[in-house]
Order: sequence, then C-alpha cells, then structure tokens
Amino acid sequence: MARSRYMILLVVALALAVVPAFAQMPDEETLIIGQSVDVGALDPASVNSRAEANIFFHVFSTLFEIGDDGALRPYLATEYSISEDGKEWTFTLNEGLTCHDGEALTAEDVAYSFERAADPANAFTGNTAGFALPAIGYQGMRVDNDLQVTVLTDRYQTPNLKLALISEVYIHCKDYYASVSLEEAAQNPVGSGPYRFVEWVPDDHILLEAVEGYTLRPTNFQTQIWRVIPEASTRVAELIAGNVDVIANVPPDQIEAVNASGVAEVQAVAGTRRIYVGFQFGENFADAPGYDALQKTEVRVALQYAVDVPTICATLLGTECERASSMVNPPNNNPNLEPYPYDPAKAEELLDAAGYPRGADGVRFETVLMGPRGRYLNDANVVQAIGQYLTDIGVNTTVDIRDWADYRQLISPKEVGPLFFLGTGGGTWEALYDMADLSGPTAGTNYTNWNNQEWFDLWNSLADIRDVEQERAVVNQMLEVFYNDPPWLLLYFQPDFYGVSNRLDWQSRRDEWIVIYNATLK
Amino acid sequence: MGSYIARRVLQSVIVIFGVTLLSFLTLHLAGDPTYLYVSERASTEEIAETRRRLGFDQPLPAQYAKFITGLVQGDLGMSLRSRKPALDLVLERLPATLELTFFAMVISTVIAIPIGITAAVRRGTATDGGVMLLAMLGQSMPGFWLGIMLILFVGLQLRLLPISGHVPVLDPMLEGNWSEGIANIPRAITYLIMPGITIGLFSLSRNARLVRSAMLEVLSQDYVTTARSKGLAERNVVIRHAFRNALIPVVTMLGLEFGFLLSGVVVTETVFSWPGVGRLVTNAITQRDIPVVQAAVVMFSVLFVSLNLLVDLIYAQLDPRIRLR
Repeated sequence: MARSRYMILLVVALALAVVPAFAQMPDEETLIIGQSVDVGALDPASVNSRAEANIFFHVFSTLFEIGDDGALRPYLATEYSISEDGKEWTFTLNEGLTCHDGEALTAEDVAYSFERAADPANAFTGNTAGFALPAIGYQGMRVDNDLQVTVLTDRYQTPNLKLALISEVYIHCKDYYASVSLEEAAQNPVGSGPYRFVEWVPDDHILLEAVEGYTLRPTNFQTQIWRVIPEASTRVAELIAGNVDVIANVPPDQIEAVNASGVAEVQAVAGTRRIYVGFQFGENFADAPGYDALQKTEVRVALQYAVDVPTICATLLGTECERASSMVNPPNNNPNLEPYPYDPAKAEELLDAAGYPRGADGVRFETVLMGPRGRYLNDANVVQAIGQYLTDIGVNTTVDIRDWADYRQLISPKEVGPLFFLGTGGGTWEALYDMADLSGPTAGTNYTNWNNQEWFDLWNSLADIRDVEQERAVVNQMLEVFYNDPPWLLLYFQPDFYGVSNRLDWQSRRDEWIVIYNATLK
Repeated sequence: MGSYIARRVLQSVIVIFGVTLLSFLTLHLAGDPTYLYVSERASTEEIAETRRRLGFDQPLPAQYAKFITGLVQGDLGMSLRSRKPALDLVLERLPATLELTFFAMVISTVIAIPIGITAAVRRGTATDGGVMLLAMLGQSMPGFWLGIMLILFVGLQLRLLPISGHVPVLDPMLEGNWSEGIANIPRAITYLIMPGITIGLFSLSRNARLVRSAMLEVLSQDYVTTARSKGLAERNVVIRHAFRNALIPVVTMLGLEFGFLLSGVVVTETVFSWPGVGRLVTNAITQRDIPVVQAAVVMFSVLFVSLNLLVDLIYAQLDPRIRLR
C-alpha cells in the first residue's frame, strides 16, 4: 500500500515536471531572443549598451536606419537636405506617423526627442547624450513645419558620418514624455517603432507586441520576447532545447554542439569591433618597464610581426579571421595596406636593429601587458597568448589581467599600459567613424595618448574638404601614417557568433545589432 | 533576559554597520566608478560633471557618512543605473530569492533528516556507507558545475525540467492576487527543482552527516537502552526518544543554514537565469551601482543577523545557562 502511494506521488511529480518543460517552446507567432544582460532602464535616452539598443530599436524608430550593409536607409524621414555650410540638416518626415499611444508624430516630436536627450537637467549618460550628439556638434533643433525639422550643428562633417550619428537618436512623442517624470519614463516607454512595449520583468524578460498597421517596417511575428540568460552554457542549452530562437555570444567551444544539434546553427560573422593592443605614450607611464623602448616606431613595427593572429583566431576564437591592416573596418580600409604577416625572425631582426638585442639571459627588455577578463571573446586567453608571443622574441612580458569592471575604470583615465588589450566598436558605413577614436591627441578615446603630428594635421585638414574623392585620398594617407607609426599592435575584427534556430530565416549582422523585425519562419 | 536581548541587539547593529563599511570600502578600492556611467567617448568635462552629480567627487568618509545618514532614515539612495530607489529594487527581487532559498532549505532539511536517521540506525552497513559516500560527494561538488550538469542532463537530455527561468508565486500573492500565486505553484516547483538542488545539495549532505552523528550519540545513551529494555518498538525508540534529542544541534544549524543558502543564490541565480537579489547584486557589482550593492548588503545582513538573533533568543529561552554567560 505504502509503495503504491509513493509510486503515485512519483508519477504526479514527473507529470508536473514534464508538461511545463515542453510548454515553454515558442509558437509560430512568437520570437524569443536570449541575451546575456538586461536593460538598465527603459528610457530611450539612457541606452548605453548594444543589448539595450537591440530592444530599443524595435520599440523606437529613427530618422534613418543603418542597414546591415552599412547603407543608410530612410525610416521616419523620407529624405534630407544639407545647408551649404553643412551645418544644418533638414529632414522631411513621412505623413501620418503616430506613436504607440496614438499621438501624432510630427516634426515637433522629433525636435523634442533630440532636445530631451541633450538637456543637461536630465543628466542622461547614454549613447545619444554621451556620444552621438556631441559627435555631430549638436547645437539645437528647428521645427520648420509639421513635416520638416532641422538639426543644427556647429561643424561640417562628411555626410555619411553625420547621418549615421543622427540615426542613432531614438524618436518618441512629446506629450507623453513631457508629462511623466524621468523615473516613470524609465519604466514605461511609449515608442514609435514596429513593436510596442508590454512588460518588463527585470532580469527575466521584456515582452514586445507587434503594432497593428505599422507600415514602415515588417512585423513578421506577433510577439517578441527578449529573455535575459546571463550564463553562456544555459543560453546554448535553451537554444538546443528549442526554447529560444536566437542567442548572442555563443562560446567558441560550444559551436560544434549547436551545429550538431539539428535544432540550430551558429552564424559566425566578422564583427566591426576592432581588437588591438595599445602602446601607451602617456608620460605617467614613463617609469613603467618597456616604456622607453615602445616609444620607438621601429620597436612598435617589430612587434607587429611577433604575434600570429590567424592562429589565435583559429585556436582561441573558433574561427578563421583575417588580420587587421588598419583601424578601419573593411570595406572602408585602405586597400593598399597589407596586414603585417607573422614573422618572428623579422621581428627579432628589427628589434636588433632598433638597439634592443637579446641580453645574456635572452631578454631584450621587460614590459607589462594589461588586459580584461569577461568583456571580449575569450579575452583573457588571447591576452595570455599575446604575452607569450612577445616573450618568445625576447620581450619579456608580464601579463596583468583584471576583471572588466575594474579594467574599464582604468581605460577612460588612460591608466592602462605600457601595453594594453582593448576592443573598440566600429561601423561599416564610414571610415571616419572608425578613425574618430583618434580625433585629437587628448581625445577621450585616444587611450594611447598617441600624438603623431602628421596624422592630426591631416585629420584637421578634413574639415575643409568637401569633395568625397579628395577626402578618401586623405583618409588613405592617414591610414598609411597609422600603419607606419602604429599606436596599436593590430590584431583582428572580433568575430561574433549567433546561435539561430533552424525554424528561422534570419541573417545576423556585422555590427553587433540584432535587428530581427524582418525574421521569418522557414 | 532583558539585558541579554539588549546586548544581542546592539551586537547585531554593530555587525550590520561593520558589513556596510567593509562592502563600501571594497567597492571603492577598485577605482573611480564614474567611468562606468559615461560613454566611452565622453569628454573630460562630461566625466567631471558626472562624477559631481553621482557624488563621487566627495571624500570617502563624507560619502559613507551620507550613506549612513540615509540608512538611519530608511533611504538607501537611488540606483545609478535604473534611477529607481535602491531598496525598492532589492525588495522587488527578494520574493524570487526567498522562494529559491526556502525551497533549498526544505530540500536540505526534509531529505537530510530521514537519510541521517537511516544511516545511524543502520550503522556499519552498506546503506550507511553508501549514504555517507553520497553525502561526501554532495559536499565536494561545486554548485556552479552541478548546476550546469543538471541543465545538460535533466533539462536538455531528459527534457524533464525547464532549463532556466522563473514562475513567480510570492510576487502575485504580495500584490493580493492569491489565486494566481497558488495556481502558479505546480509550474513554479518545476522551475525550482534544479536550482534548489544546486544550492541545497551541500547543506543536505552536511545535515545528513550531522543528523547521523547526533543520532549515533543519542542512540548510545542509557535512556535509549532503558526504552528498548521496556520493550518499546524500535521505531518508537528511534523517533520518539532518540530523534527528539538529536534534533537540538540540527535546529541550531537552521539559523546559520539560511544565511549559507542565501550566499549560494548569487551563482545559482546566474546559472539558472533566476531574477533574484543574487543576480541584481552581481550586476550591480559589475556596474559599480554602489547604492544597490549597499542596499542588498544591508538587506542580507539584516536577514541573517535577525535570524541568528531569533535562534539565540529561542536558545536562551530553552537553556537559561546561555543568558548567564
């Protein structure tokens, strides 16, 4: 009798367990995406990570959209015109636009979206206020009529660059956002994109629902669920179990398991993030080991030959990759520059010639390579490998790896060096966007404190050039300067791995965006 | 008794302040958190302005004094990341963490007791050896590894349980929606089993060993022999006479157990995508969201210290000798 009671209990427990396990698989109207991090807040002006931007891009629209090929396509705006001095950009909006609460979206709302993000009283630190608006020299907005709005800036910039930066500003309606506190706006977004916000369960998921009758972009699934699954192995397991359609950041060692599952496949793309080792020129590192040697151009060139980048890619990143020849993403890089080959003998020869022969102990000089853990693909292991390659040619390298949160705090104040490993986001639409990291000797993103006069003279000369071909020639010349007097030990464009369910027809992009409104079932 | 309680409460308050001070200093040791709240391309002026706005331009003692003043007034500051009161964020996540912790506690006690008793009663047999071997294995397995193994085997291969996620029970109840909370219980249990085992297995194993050794000690006492010689059934001897006395050290452990299990949720919540305080703290530490970390530390300290205080008081009530020490 007692035994049969136990058996009944066991059967009930198993039934409880099995039913929901299968019930969580997505249906034909639902798309589930797994990302590693949650959003911090739901205010469009607070977006400061790619994971957040991926969700916001479906809830909010922009004036133009950066396509997967780097081309800029009309979105809320149908066209734009530029004033003669290049400082005023006038956009013409589509007719009949509305926000998700039914409010008409007009030029006044576009102006408000920019003004709200730029307002110092709101103290936004997201990408819009912290990067996009300062980068275009934002001065203000002008409403010309209901359908025309002008962005006022203080400088001429090459059109693609400025348009791409303007296209990073999320547009929303004024009435709602002007009527609620910042705290409330950060919890209840009212957007203008193809999907409306329904629910946010922090650290669990965000639920979006297709906006009925939205015509500017397709909404092939009725529902999008953006799940937060921080652990990579768990994300992969959910993908293979068929519970999730798309995941980002598949670890290289699990690619084979995904591909062998028959349920999903991994899409590997050469990302736009430039991964490099920076040479620190800042004088606060003058006493650091190896600082003096690394100031010499010949030494920095020699080190380019010391690292076997293709092998690092194949063994540590799980894919083939081509070594970078400049700081600019293909296809906007200088086509005449060949990536430095792996040639340790030549590296040693150049170091001998530069005045750093091996000593009796086989060491040419000592130095330190700093790097992060947990930010870039297999970063800590890549840093260890680079340290070993440098040690192999007699540059005795001590590797100093810090957790990303700690490392991040050292980067902006430029307290990393004498060698430091870093990645920086790039774009596919404009060379100058990638080169803006080195827009001045004291620029915030010139983490190396590099101060090559020729480079910065050429950079400044771009402000007076209006001809695209002439600009291209200067860009190529600058990239040659960079190549010959390298502030970076050039490595690779970080490969990105997306796990995609076999039921889905969707192509991942190079620029880390997950734009998924156009995904369809096979 | 009154002075004993006052002394213990005062000690608890000192412990909580000590913990907040330590966590505060640790978070600031790693450098200036301002850089985590500005764009990578922010200008020097922008960084300085953000530092001022966040209050990181103040000397550390002033920052800590401000925090303590707020704490006394029940204000733990606003999250730097989400612009919400830090305490609210922690309280929002607390129900999910409590569900997981209590479930793990049930696993670690309800299963441990019969296992420990069985091993003690069958001392020296293969059952005893097997149970102790399993207990040792349970104590040796790292939680992170065990969690991943459960996901791969039970969740992915056998498809018996959901791999990750959470179905709320306490949340709807706290919002007054009892029917939804109760209706969620069966599904919630399926989501709780794997993370609950991951957190609770170590304690289960330890408690089983503890019950076994306590039972062995009691079973050798004269009054147990007397009970047997009176002709009582062995079942009655074990349960009514021996187990009751063996339970005292186990009950003492329970107060500490809760704190131990709470510390385990940090990793387990990440592995199983469980939206609790552990995940919140992990993210807050990564982002140096200091008000949130401090709020969580205060919350955990208060919970832990209060439970221990309660256990001490119950103990003092049961055994007057403790008050006199």
